[in-house]
Amino acid sequence: MRLISRLKFQTKISVGTFLIVVAVALMTAVPVSRMASRAIIAESRGRGLALAENLSLRLADAMLTQDLLRMKTMVDELTAVGDDTVYAFVLDDTGAVLAHTFKKGFPVQLKAANAADGKGASVRLLDTGAELVYDFAVPVVISGRRFGTARLGLSRSRAEAEVNSLLFTFGGLSVAAMAAALLLSSMFARRVARRINLLKEYAQEVVRGNLDIETTSTLKRNCWEIMQCGRSQCPAYAMPRHRCWHMHGTLCPDCAPADGQVRKSCVRCPVFRANAGDEIQDLSETFGIMASTLKRQIGALGQQQQLMRTILDATPDLVCLLDAQGRFLAVNRAYAAFLGRGEAEIIGRTEADFFSPDESAERAAKNRAVLCSGMGKQAEIRVHTARGEQWFHEVNVPVRDAAGQAMGVLKTARDVTEVKSIEEKLLQSQKMESLGKLAGGVAHEINTPLGIILGYAQLLQDDVPEGGQISEDLRIIERQAKVCRKIVADLLGFSRQHESSMVPMDVNESVSDVVSLVRHTFGLEKVALELDLDEALPAIIGDREKMGQVWMNLLNNARDAMPGGGAIRIRTRRREAEGVLAVSVADSGTGISPAHLDKVFDPFFSTKGVGEGTGLGLSVSFGIVQNHGGTIEVQSPAPAEFRPGSADGLDSGKRPDGGNGPDGGNGPGRAGTVFHVLLPLSCPAPAPAAAPIFPV
Amino acid sequence: MALAAKGTSARPVGLGLLCRCAAMCVVLLVCASCSEQEPAVRVDLSKRQETAAPAPAVGITYAYLPQYSHTTSYQRHHLLVEYLAKATGLPIRQVFPNTFDEHMKMVAQGQIDISFTNPFVYIRLAKQGARCFARTIKSSGRGEFHSEIICRSDNRALKTLADCRGRRWIAVDPLSAGGYLFALAHFHDLGIERRDFAEIAFAPGPGGKQENVVLAVLAGKYDFGTIREGTLDLLKDRIDLDQIRILARTKAYPEWLFAARKGLDERIVTKIAQAMFALDAANPEHAAILEAAGLKSIIPAQDQDFDPVRQLVHKLELD
Repeated sequence: MRLISRLKFQTKISVGTFLIVVAVALMTAVPVSRMASRAIIAESRGRGLALAENLSLRLADAMLTQDLLRMKTMVDELTAVGDDTVYAFVLDDTGAVLAHTFKKGFPVQLKAANAADGKGASVRLLDTGAELVYDFAVPVVISGRRFGTARLGLSRSRAEAEVNSLLFTFGGLSVAAMAAALLLSSMFARRVARRINLLKEYAQEVVRGNLDIETTSTLKRNCWEIMQCGRSQCPAYAMPRHRCWHMHGTLCPDCAPADGQVRKSCVRCPVFRANAGDEIQDLSETFGIMASTLKRQIGALGQQQQLMRTILDATPDLVCLLDAQGRFLAVNRAYAAFLGRGEAEIIGRTEADFFSPDESAERAAKNRAVLCSGMGKQAEIRVHTARGEQWFHEVNVPVRDAAGQAMGVLKTARDVTEVKSIEEKLLQSQKMESLGKLAGGVAHEINTPLGIILGYAQLLQDDVPEGGQISEDLRIIERQAKVCRKIVADLLGFSRQHESSMVPMDVNESVSDVVSLVRHTFGLEKVALELDLDEALPAIIGDREKMGQVWMNLLNNARDAMPGGGAIRIRTRRREAEGVLAVSVADSGTGISPAHLDKVFDPFFSTKGVGEGTGLGLSVSFGIVQNHGGTIEVQSPAPAEFRPGSADGLDSGKRPDGGNGPDGGNGPGRAGTVFHVLLPLSCPAPAPAAAPIFPV
Repeated sequence: MALAAKGTSARPVGLGLLCRCAAMCVVLLVCASCSEQEPAVRVDLSKRQETAAPAPAVGITYAYLPQYSHTTSYQRHHLLVEYLAKATGLPIRQVFPNTFDEHMKMVAQGQIDISFTNPFVYIRLAKQGARCFARTIKSSGRGEFHSEIICRSDNRALKTLADCRGRRWIAVDPLSAGGYLFALAHFHDLGIERRDFAEIAFAPGPGGKQENVVLAVLAGKYDFGTIREGTLDLLKDRIDLDQIRILARTKAYPEWLFAARKGLDERIVTKIAQAMFALDAANPEHAAILEAAGLKSIIPAQDQDFDPVRQLVHKLELD
């Protein structure tokens, strides 16, 4: 069996065909030979019987006339006519021999060897020693009376010799047929095997990855030549190695839609009838089309894969696919970067390899929940990373196989840290808004009784002697009441917008006015003022009074930042590219810690001691600037070009008198803080008084 | 993988089938080699002896003028011969001359004792000394018979006997009464002589000459033929009688007769004649004999009963 299985296909076909022919020849020859042999023997017997009966009939007249010569002639004629007639003789009704064909006497035993009993013929096989003889005995009967017997001996051996000759001829023909079958089967097998081997080579090429194979030969006449269609956009056009009936989407009007098999209409098509081959050719052509289709699909799949890879890698979200056992099947670039590993290092491993035991256990539990429930889950999680605390919006969805069973988990996570921060700020803003409304209401309610207190305090001072204790107390009341009024006024300014008078104004002039106003006072506190004004500043639309308040607040804030004295530099510039006018107020103080930078514009935020500030100055300034369509920013430490004493545009001539710099730790050159007020060059109309504006 | 598995599982099945086929072939060959043996009787042909023809039988010989085949003659008269032998106690046997001439010679030579012959042959036999002692009455009840002139049914050239001039004629025998002479006399009476025919042929013998005439006409070998009445009935089961047309019937003449050769013992003739006359159609045994011979009865006859035939011979100048 193993020997047969190892035989070549060509050999198998040859041997198989030969064996089939031999088997068929044997199965045919044997019964046919037997039947032929029987037929020949039977025919011989029938012929002998016919001869004997004919002899019997012809003997009638001769028997009546006792014409022995005629009888002799008749029996001699039988032996002369047939080679297989061994003898013939005639007996009368007494058993006497009337005529016979034997030379030199009549065989004694032959007369009794066969006898025709009654009126019917008798056939008996005799063995003479030399051969087998069929002896036929037929009675000669005339009008019911038996006159004698006609006997005929026909050689069976000679008939058998004819049978053997026939069998020999038949056998020779069978051998010749088998030889021809062997030759033809070898030729046929070689032809079939050659084409199958060619197909095998094609298949091996495909296995090796070479899909550029041509499995078919070109045609003598192609479909577009036969049909003379001229449809160059047809997929079969100019494809001489591809048969059109194997292709989808052909444009021939006679073609029915492809049904996976050869279309029924193709059978009558002249193209099909001219170019159709056998099954092996069909297989070869189909194989070639399969290879080209495979190549095209692989190319498309590669492009699709690249596209999907690009999409996955381009998204900032963290994306990964886990199988049911928690192993990474795929990760995108963001996820790999998040883990700080290469993609190849991650694939095939589990989350436990990259996260802490507690975190990986928590993640595994989430994965199991998704797999078991088959339902997607999302949550915001906080992760401690090297960059600090980060918030992610994580979405875990099950991935199902064709049967609908969850086979993995697709996890996406988006960094929402910034959003969370904004949410916190919004919450703070809402809180401050509420607080502002409360403060405004309280200030409004306090303002009236406070005015009464101040008025009565001033009136009472006129009624009491000046310099007395009472007068002194009243002045204290008046002074504290004014402090309260100032606080109330700030609260009201913070909580609501007053009417503005927006007119063209010169920012440099506004700044210079305020500087002139405070220069003396600041000088007493050893705070020097430096002006670096851009003379070419255009006028803007603004409220001179409120903008002056802004400059005053910023200067006071700068002075307060330098309790030991220092320098303040005010610089105006036009930023043409941004379309704004910038007023920068920088001090040489200690600066603001990064933790406080986001809160300096919050109402009531102050780092000063109790009673030293309301914490509303910067908030009010922020609201005024924003009302002018501008913004106010803070930088700490201040960039070098903004610091007091820097060479950039420092106008020493404009230094305050005696202000050569603070004597203390807050002198020029220290980092300090700088506030930038950015106002649009064409200031829009002020917004109507509305809800108070709070910094974000 | 599935394909590989299939191929692997199919291999033993194919081999098994191959083995079974081979086994069947072997069985077939073995069976073919064993042919049935027919039993044979052992005969030694080497032991020989010379044979001798049996001696001819003796007794009264009876012969039927061979107008028909010997077998027909035997079939018609062997019962009569057996009856006569039994009735007379004489060893009577039937012999079969091949021709009319041989019959007459055998009568003349004494090899035929009792001759059943036609009137024309009797006239000749009578000249040799034979004498008639009985004549027959046919089954139809007639003691006479005539000749029939026949042709093919589709022969439109022969409508009357005058159309027979210049035609080919086949007759039974120059000595046949019904098969030749009666018709020849009939034509003579119509003014048609032998020379007026293109050919006059006679049927080949021995025996069966009446039937041969019919067959020769039917085959178209001759234009017309002459036979005695009753011949067509003999052939009704062997040929299609519709293909034969009877052109004319001749005048009737006395029927066949029984004659004894010259010198036969008168007592024997008498015994035989009496036995013949004793045949009675009413007797079932006799009826079978008469029916086979086509006779109704046998009656006594005298030589002058056949003078009309002598006149015919004279008229035709055949004497």
